[in-house]
Amino acid sequence: MLQKVIGWARRKSPWILHFNSGGCNACDIEILDLLTPRYDVERLGILKEASPRHADILLVTGPVTRQTRDRLVRIYDQIPAPKWVVAVGSCGCSGGIFYDGHNILGGIDQVLPVDIYIPGCPPRPEAIIDGLARLLEEIE
Amino acid sequence: MSNDRITIPIGPQHPALKEPLSFMLTVEGEQVVDSALRLGYVHRGLERICQRRSYVQNVHVVERVCGICSHVHSSTYCQAVETLLELEVPPRGLYLRALLCELERIHSHVLWLGVLAEILGFTTIFMYTWQDREIVLDIMEELSGGRVAHAANIVGGVSIDVDEDQIEDIQERLDNLEPQLARFVDLVHNERSFQARTRGVGLLPTGVARGHCAVGPTARGSGIDVDVRRDTPYGIYDQLSFSVITVDDGDVWARAAVRAEETMESLDLCRQLLKGMPKGSIKTRAPRRVAAGEVVSRSEAPRGEVVYYVRSDGSEQPARVKIRTPTLPALSTLPIQLQGVNTADIPVVLAGVDLCIACADR
Amino acid sequence: MNVSQIVEALQQNFPDETIEVRDVPMRDTFVELAADDLHAAVTLLMERFDIYHLSTITGEDTGDAIVLFYHFWDGQGLTLCTLLSREAPHIPTLTDLIPGADFYEREVHEMLGVMFDGHTDLRPLVLPDDWNSPPPLRKEEEEKEDEQ
Repeated sequence: MLQKVIGWARRKSPWILHFNSGGCNACDIEILDLLTPRYDVERLGILKEASPRHADILLVTGPVTRQTRDRLVRIYDQIPAPKWVVAVGSCGCSGGIFYDGHNILGGIDQVLPVDIYIPGCPPRPEAIIDGLARLLEEIE
Repeated sequence: MSNDRITIPIGPQHPALKEPLSFMLTVEGEQVVDSALRLGYVHRGLERICQRRSYVQNVHVVERVCGICSHVHSSTYCQAVETLLELEVPPRGLYLRALLCELERIHSHVLWLGVLAEILGFTTIFMYTWQDREIVLDIMEELSGGRVAHAANIVGGVSIDVDEDQIEDIQERLDNLEPQLARFVDLVHNERSFQARTRGVGLLPTGVARGHCAVGPTARGSGIDVDVRRDTPYGIYDQLSFSVITVDDGDVWARAAVRAEETMESLDLCRQLLKGMPKGSIKTRAPRRVAAGEVVSRSEAPRGEVVYYVRSDGSEQPARVKIRTPTLPALSTLPIQLQGVNTADIPVVLAGVDLCIACADR
Repeated sequence: MNVSQIVEALQQNFPDETIEVRDVPMRDTFVELAADDLHAAVTLLMERFDIYHLSTITGEDTGDAIVLFYHFWDGQGLTLCTLLSREAPHIPTLTDLIPGADFYEREVHEMLGVMFDGHTDLRPLVLPDDWNSPPPLRKEEEEKEDEQ
């Protein structure tokens, strides 16, 4: 019974933490756009949090650079379980256009287990909402 | 005890920062006495990547230097390659290129004002600004198919065109946008709580701004009258009329005033561009190989002067592409702006710089 | 900015050197100087011609030498170029004249391994803390990377 309630609460109010691990800002402004009147994901219970301790979902944009790798892992470790990782944007999925840069390790899945990939350069806010909605379907 | 100096590390992930950047702040009580920056969290090695791609592919690479001012980067790069090729871009192509540049300036400045308002705790204005920014994004999407990354530039012109109906439609949308922008200008000048938080914070005197080679709104907010569009006209800017806005105060408020008023100037420029749009083709064919040579291409991005140095050795790939983004000089003034600031005002000063770490790190 | 006056003044100041000048499209002029003269030349630009805006410093490894371009701007471009040896490239810092040169010099230092004499703090600017290979824009590094 208690588990059911917790599962329900998780689905109805997923809190996200956004981290840019090497992206170009395009995905980041589209994510910030989700909070503003046209898309307004707060109506779905999605809140953008500033502390990893509060978050359920880690939204990562950009490829992983050598300098952010350890920080990204540390942030992931600080999020209480259960936790999910969403890779936003083409370079988050695979390294994208920057794949052969001297400071690039590749997509987010080189470092963290990714649950949902949202491709696009940058993905539209609708696509990000769709990705999050699919993730919520998975969270049972 | 309170007079002891303490060093606090901040970032790369921190509530006050939107992007990965880290700081070592030395504070004495509540006052910042020293600060050191650590960049490089989003360094992708773009200059090196550019040497490995062809001139055509690079248009898309440089568009991803920065997601907010993507178009001006590809414009400056295309301008450089076109100069090396001695290509004459048709006027209609230049008009469309400049139109997107000015729309992007409005989008970037309004976005920045929203971020600043949110940091001030003025969430209402954050919501209003970002709602009105959608008007600009809609226009850009209709023009190019992309909200943020446009892929509108090609070497030799642009890949997008407009018809008469679209021009009329865009004009109508700009008419709707104008009163909103006027409201933001009014807010910056007359809203007391806004002024209370931003006046006298993040001071950057004119002399210091000069020494640090400040560009764009950072320089103009410190009373330096500089604008690449007017001083080294490129594209079709020599045929347009606009005024360069300068404010002498040198604080966060001054930079806000410069940016807010610039959105009105850009709106007017968009109207001039739509009205004077000549008929004709939008591009010329460009060869794949570029004869040996070198060029320094400059243009005015929303954040200030962008510099591209491109050297060709006669092959299909550039021998060297150097990208200087306007955030780098702005960041070098940050430790000065933070000097003596109250810790509660640190986020305001950071926002005032209009940080774009993706630009600075490349 | 009057380029011919500037070139004349530079030539007067360094009578023993041959100063090469070439025009570059988009209103820029490249002036080639010896590395030892650079600091004095920039002082002259600042004091006599009030040119203070250093847009950036571009460094390039041509294979034979390392070239530095100091891009100045004042309504039009003026670029001072200088050649450094590849073995031990070093040049006096400009940070005492132009504090804004700090970031640019640090970047050239980490990308090409150029030493800026007198620069007090040449920590990495954008490269990661654990970067242990040679500077990434050196020719041999580029070739090694291309082979992979």
